[in-house]
Amino acid sequence: MPDVQSTVLEFVNKLRKRKIEGSQATARCTVELLRSVISQHRVPHANQASALIDAVKAVGEQLVAANPVELAVGNVVRRVLHIIREEDLSLTTAAMGGLDLLDASDDDEDVCNKGIGYPAMSAAVVAAAARSTLRPPSLQTLLEGTPESATVPYTSSSGADSESKTADKSSITRKLKHDVIESVNQLIHEIAGCHEQIAEQAIEHIHQNEVILTLGSSRTVLEFLCAAKEKKRSFRVFVAEGAPRYQGHLLAKELVARGLQTTVITDSAVFAMISRVNMVIIGAHAVMANGGVIGPVGVNMAALAAKKHAVPFVVLAGCHKLCPLYPHNPEVLLNELRSPSELLDFGEFSDCLDFGAGSGSPLLQVVNPTFDYVPPNLVSLFITDTGGHNPSYMYRLIADYYSADDLVM
Amino acid sequence: MWRRSASFVLDKHQNNKPISLTPSIDSPPPHSMADENSNPNPISAYYQTRAAHHGIVTSDWLEQAQAAVRRYPERDYSVSPGRPFSVIEEFNNWRQQPDLAEAVAAIRALAAVIRASEATTMMELEIELKKASDTLKSWDTTSISLTAGCDLFMRYVTRTSALEFEDFNSAKSRVLSRAEKFGEISCKARKIIAVLSQDFIFDGCTILVHGFSRVVFEILKMAAQNKKLFRVLCTEGRPDKTGVLLANELAKLDVPVKLLIDSAVAYSMDEVDMVFVGADGVVESGGVINMMGTYQIALVAHSMNKPVYVAAESYKFARLYPLDQKDLEPALRPIDFDVPVPPKVEVERSARDYTPPQYLTLLFTDLGVLTPSVVSDELIQLYL
Repeated sequence: MPDVQSTVLEFVNKLRKRKIEGSQATARCTVELLRSVISQHRVPHANQASALIDAVKAVGEQLVAANPVELAVGNVVRRVLHIIREEDLSLTTAAMGGLDLLDASDDDEDVCNKGIGYPAMSAAVVAAAARSTLRPPSLQTLLEGTPESATVPYTSSSGADSESKTADKSSITRKLKHDVIESVNQLIHEIAGCHEQIAEQAIEHIHQNEVILTLGSSRTVLEFLCAAKEKKRSFRVFVAEGAPRYQGHLLAKELVARGLQTTVITDSAVFAMISRVNMVIIGAHAVMANGGVIGPVGVNMAALAAKKHAVPFVVLAGCHKLCPLYPHNPEVLLNELRSPSELLDFGEFSDCLDFGAGSGSPLLQVVNPTFDYVPPNLVSLFITDTGGHNPSYMYRLIADYYSADDLVM
Repeated sequence: MWRRSASFVLDKHQNNKPISLTPSIDSPPPHSMADENSNPNPISAYYQTRAAHHGIVTSDWLEQAQAAVRRYPERDYSVSPGRPFSVIEEFNNWRQQPDLAEAVAAIRALAAVIRASEATTMMELEIELKKASDTLKSWDTTSISLTAGCDLFMRYVTRTSALEFEDFNSAKSRVLSRAEKFGEISCKARKIIAVLSQDFIFDGCTILVHGFSRVVFEILKMAAQNKKLFRVLCTEGRPDKTGVLLANELAKLDVPVKLLIDSAVAYSMDEVDMVFVGADGVVESGGVINMMGTYQIALVAHSMNKPVYVAAESYKFARLYPLDQKDLEPALRPIDFDVPVPPKVEVERSARDYTPPQYLTLLFTDLGVLTPSVVSDELIQLYL
């Protein structure tokens, strides 16, 4: 385990020093780290799912604390926890039927089939309880009371199958880890491939002779626009430069290299040019549960301009950017202030910014926030790797990807 | 345009009808919920007018007409021969407790029905429960949480029996224990909602509250206990004086409170950071039905970009879809002005209004923090 610990600490340091740029890279590294944590963790025979969950949670808490603004870390940790719970559930429902251990693809079917040849109360009730741990709380489960934890299925299965299942139990042990790692590999694959999935949908949204506005630089947006170009749509792109980092310049260069007609404008010119634009497309840093978007600074302004001129505002986000939390003060709590040197040249302004002179705190303050929050009513459409969705639908995706128990870390 | 003015004329005819049709108002209204008064005019004039104009008999109208006809015999309906058990009595007993929500009292009353029942199969039990539930619902057709609570319980019972138990007695006892535990769920629900909302109350914020909702009070109580610094603006809440009652309770907790008359809401909305209201019922569209004045406040808040948060337990979700204010069953209550009002002057006596979902920001329920669009999802999952 010291091996894993050192990799964890290394990663935590990288996060704290903001060495890893971009949510996709962060998400990938986090998942790979968690995969090695899981594979190297020695699980006891009983309650192994909880052991895994605890191990992952412990590491996850450290990671989230290192960089709380990078929401992709927390998202991905919660995805892994959800995967563990799901795999555990499917294994127990398979095991309880006394059938061969199969990856139970449909939990409900399995339970109904097994209900007949079993003491009806124990198997079905326990299965129902286990099922309800995985679903978010809903009106349906309201009257079923507090569901027993996922550990109960183990004790009942050990009670009912005492005779011949010791061999099966040890294979259950190995199977859980194996299944979890398989699913985690799938998750990595999903994260890596999110750009292609989103870019596939470009052709439906971008039409001939349109003018697209974007802000800053996002790899998803780049791939999206290029995919439309590949399919022989001809359109123009306005790129707002995204001060103070001026990443719009880089995006403009890339677009020109791929043969797209591009115009660079300043951020202040967005309101002036918006009436000539057909659609605004931006990449998000994170999407919150209420459909709000955390994006690079300046997107709120673009969103307001788009709303004013009834221009569709489309947000591209890979699934690792969906966060199950509700923002309650996003401008402050989910923002990061970067170095003032990006705005002002310290040499010229050294006398204003000097802490030593006068009363001790300088008269000139520089605020350089990294992110902006766009409320859900300004967003027209979200394009994720599963398709296009309304902002009011985001809670559904979140309910599918995450378990309610993992929300508070 | 013509419909409205014409209905105005027909309404007058309606009001001249004999008063014998109205049942007496049962008990003095409890302090918190104004909608518990029995509807003095059970047949909504609105529906009658529409039916007359369009020549269509709508199903709601038919139902209400039938209910009105059945009203008196309905009283004895729940008392089957040979059994002195009345679900209405049971319900009233539970309702006396001030902390118990109405839906919870209804479920407890239905639990008592199960306990007293002599049925031997699930089918019989369900039929008895259905009868009792219908009685409860018709006793006060205007109460949404009552209807929703009864429906929720009926769904639960019918779902429980189908799959999981072969033995009737064990099924019955499970349903019974669940129903009795539901009272705890209500209190737990309030605690859960309070915990969920804590993050949204930040230090130095100003909260506008309308109506005396026990859930909202729990939220504010917990925030005060967590040593958060905030102040509360209470609307007066005429004619129920909810504002004064809430202000008294908050003053006991050392929370700075300011009372406003209902008309001063727009005037003060500038300094407000968020609006908190409870709900009598949450409808399928995600909108809420709450004390009269909530819609007004939500409109003002929306126009000034202030968030409106609704705190409601999940058993208040109802299968209604009002399209406008008049689509609700009117819950009327007496309003007294300090000066005598001449009889030919009409008084708008409705006790509640409907706030459409686009003016609400978030709903805090025991199922979690929800956006208004989630409500229909939840309802579909339960009722389909």
